[in-house]
Amino acid sequence: MTETTRTTDPANKGRVEPPVANGGPKTTKERLARMLPALGSLQGYIGLVLVVLIGIITKGQIFWNQTNLTNAITAFASRGILAVGVTLVILTGGIDLSVGSVLGIGSMTAAMLLTHLNLTPWLIVPLCALVGAFFGLCNGIGTTWLRIQSFVMTLAMLSVVRGIDRQVSDNVAVGTQLTDAQGHLTGQAAAFAKLGTPGHNLLRGNWLPLFGQVGIGYPVIALVVVCVVFQLVLSKTRFGRHVYAVGGNPTAAKLSGVNVTAVTIAVFALSGLLAGFAGPIDAAYSASADPLAGTSYELDAIAAAVIGGTSLAGGKGTVTGTFVGALILTLLDNVLGLNQISDNLQLITKGLIVVLAVVIQRPDFFRSLVSGARRLRRGRNLKSTVDKQKAEGAPQ
Amino acid sequence: MRSVSKSFPGVRALRDVGLTVHVGEVVALLGENGAGKSTLMNILAGVHADYEGGIEIDGQPVFIHSPKDAARHGIAMIHQELNLVPELSIADNVFLGREPRTPRGTIDRGVMRARTAELLGQLGLRVPPRTLVRDCGIAERQLVEVAKALNLNLRLLVMDEPTSALADSEVHRLFAVIRELTARGVGVIYISHRLAELAEIADSVTVLRDGGYVGERAMAETTAAELVAMMVGRPLGELFPRAPEQRSTGPVWLAVRGLATTPKPGSGVRALRGLDFQVRSGEIVGLAGLMGAGRTEVLEAIYGACGAVDGELTLGGRHYRPSRPRRAIRRGVALVAEDRKAKSLVLDNTVRFNTTLVALDRYVRPWRTVDRRAERLAVAAKIGELRVKTPSQTALVRNLSGGNQQKVVLAKCLLAGPSLLLLDEPTRGIDVGAKAEIHALMNSLAEQGTAIVVVSSELPELIGMCDRILVLCEGRLTGEFHRDTGNGSAFDQEGILTAAMAREAA
Repeated sequence: MTETTRTTDPANKGRVEPPVANGGPKTTKERLARMLPALGSLQGYIGLVLVVLIGIITKGQIFWNQTNLTNAITAFASRGILAVGVTLVILTGGIDLSVGSVLGIGSMTAAMLLTHLNLTPWLIVPLCALVGAFFGLCNGIGTTWLRIQSFVMTLAMLSVVRGIDRQVSDNVAVGTQLTDAQGHLTGQAAAFAKLGTPGHNLLRGNWLPLFGQVGIGYPVIALVVVCVVFQLVLSKTRFGRHVYAVGGNPTAAKLSGVNVTAVTIAVFALSGLLAGFAGPIDAAYSASADPLAGTSYELDAIAAAVIGGTSLAGGKGTVTGTFVGALILTLLDNVLGLNQISDNLQLITKGLIVVLAVVIQRPDFFRSLVSGARRLRRGRNLKSTVDKQKAEGAPQ
Repeated sequence: MRSVSKSFPGVRALRDVGLTVHVGEVVALLGENGAGKSTLMNILAGVHADYEGGIEIDGQPVFIHSPKDAARHGIAMIHQELNLVPELSIADNVFLGREPRTPRGTIDRGVMRARTAELLGQLGLRVPPRTLVRDCGIAERQLVEVAKALNLNLRLLVMDEPTSALADSEVHRLFAVIRELTARGVGVIYISHRLAELAEIADSVTVLRDGGYVGERAMAETTAAELVAMMVGRPLGELFPRAPEQRSTGPVWLAVRGLATTPKPGSGVRALRGLDFQVRSGEIVGLAGLMGAGRTEVLEAIYGACGAVDGELTLGGRHYRPSRPRRAIRRGVALVAEDRKAKSLVLDNTVRFNTTLVALDRYVRPWRTVDRRAERLAVAAKIGELRVKTPSQTALVRNLSGGNQQKVVLAKCLLAGPSLLLLDEPTRGIDVGAKAEIHALMNSLAEQGTAIVVVSSELPELIGMCDRILVLCEGRLTGEFHRDTGNGSAFDQEGILTAAMAREAA
């Protein structure tokens, strides 16, 4: 995506590059050929625009109104937050499959802290994040000191954490809508519920187009803040540089003085932290902590990262891209749902979108389309020449 | 090939290059790194599909758009980094992608082994076809590549730097194989930076420069000097510019006593056994030795790249204990690693990203955010100083030529301002022009008081550049040679080679 260059180089954007030694593009065709990779990198936005257009064309106002969009994005916010953490891990060349389970245990922790200890959300959220960070730390230590491949380590963690979650909850969902004798929500429960309300009146006002009328809820704000913070961390800090270096070439990173172990542990811990943080949001949104909450969320998170242009090989990708990827997935879900397409078909569509996104995202996609067409044409010419030669009795 | 052009996003282009190979002829392709040799050969091998211009075989125009097309026309290419699957046997590799089938549809290993044994026999390689490629030496692997090529009705063989990793005797065997091939009417395109070899094996030479065609000469009618001038575009002065009177007088900067390592068994890393040596600031010390003698290991041990080591080291007069690269960098040590792609560069990131990777701390403000203005200026200054040819600081390192990639690695190390510079094969696979620039850079660094330790497989380079040469064999020092005869035994190639092959006494 464009962000890849932007990450390493935002200051340079408006600057005119020094002329290339061999001279710049001369003809319109050459100029166009140069622009093509840039077009390809905009693909994420193209996909987003496409999904929105399909939504507007098929459902019009039912799709493009504040309530629907806010609800759709709120429902996906917790998965979006997971996707940011997963993006960090993938950038270092690893993978984190345990985030769904960690979200689950985060939501269970939140519900239990609320029901048993009646804590305020201001305490619950950081505590859940810490719980998540602990499991993330374990992942990091396993992949570095014990040299277990991250796929295996986090797959094991997925299972372990889910087991703990089900054990402590005794396989029973814990509701967060605590009421007093009169049937009203208790103070802390009401505060907690706000964490997940889609139409909460925060950030209301006409200055915010479309959404301002209804207001934006905490889940969306949390997602946006997380995205902004981590995009800045990746693009502006030393740690961000080191993340890209470790993912791009671990040996070179090590020999350049990057503490590869620390960076790896840190990204896993951050991924766990974000998953734990997303737990209370998910619990508040669904008004209960289900022992199965977050099951297979890791796949949505990875899909969002991949659609957003993150390479599983590491070293390539941005949080901005992941955000766009998450938006595409969300709105796609929403559009398909509004059109009453069955869950099964939705799954199929989602899968196809991931494949399509990866193919189109190649920087040379448009270029190879052009050259592929040219090759096809040439191949046909060649064939006709050869045929002619054969007809003339002069085979090669 | 006629008038072939090719462009890469923003970096280099091939402009109207032509090349003719006659039946049974060895054509050498010469040019600096980035001149377009590899690009041209990759077009021929079908790696790059979108080029302009035409290719003719036997006067017939052919279109090569995939490696498969190339194979159909009997064109095979042996890359510098060999393309073999190490975990498969020789026979499996020779037949990779063209496995013969039995009537039942399974692979016919009997046929494969018999045919492979026959091919290996033709090449004078007496290794059973079942041997895993993993267990073959580099020279053997190269011959396996040749066998693979022979297996497909070979008409034109492209060899990219085939001798860069071979010992002398192995080179002679390879040349014998090449002569055998040409006698059978196979055309050979031979890419090498070693001019002396070309005189021995090539019939004619084609020179490229900056993606353009410079000229063609019959090998018998040209001289090395003329070829170098053609490649560089200007007559080159002395190849190794360090003058003997620029003797270093600095204090001892690095002192090593009893340096020893115990690598994990089976890791292929040579254990170092009690090395003693000193390097003065402003001195260039060469490390000579055969492959696997432990030269790289010495540099990496000092750099802390292989963990803790035994022995007493002092650096700049203070005690120094190598443990990890970060600490070495903080003490002013920099390493230019042997394999720039594997060990030094993040290929898919930008020139700027790579250049400041080591010294990033210098451009960090509070909260560890990067001061990008300062960073950009520093990178601009460094790549200007080293004359790195890149369209911009944001170009991907992957798209640069080998010589320019190496300069990026040097820029990265020098940006940290090292007082001890460890260079591991700094000029391998680099053209004459870039080589001379790197030599000049080493000289000026030494004059500024940097202590330099350099490993090279090219003995003339060490003899031309160094004040002292230490010779390693099987992880221990077996010789020390001085430029100045007053201090001990003087440089002599024969003595150094003898020391490099000195077996353990006991």
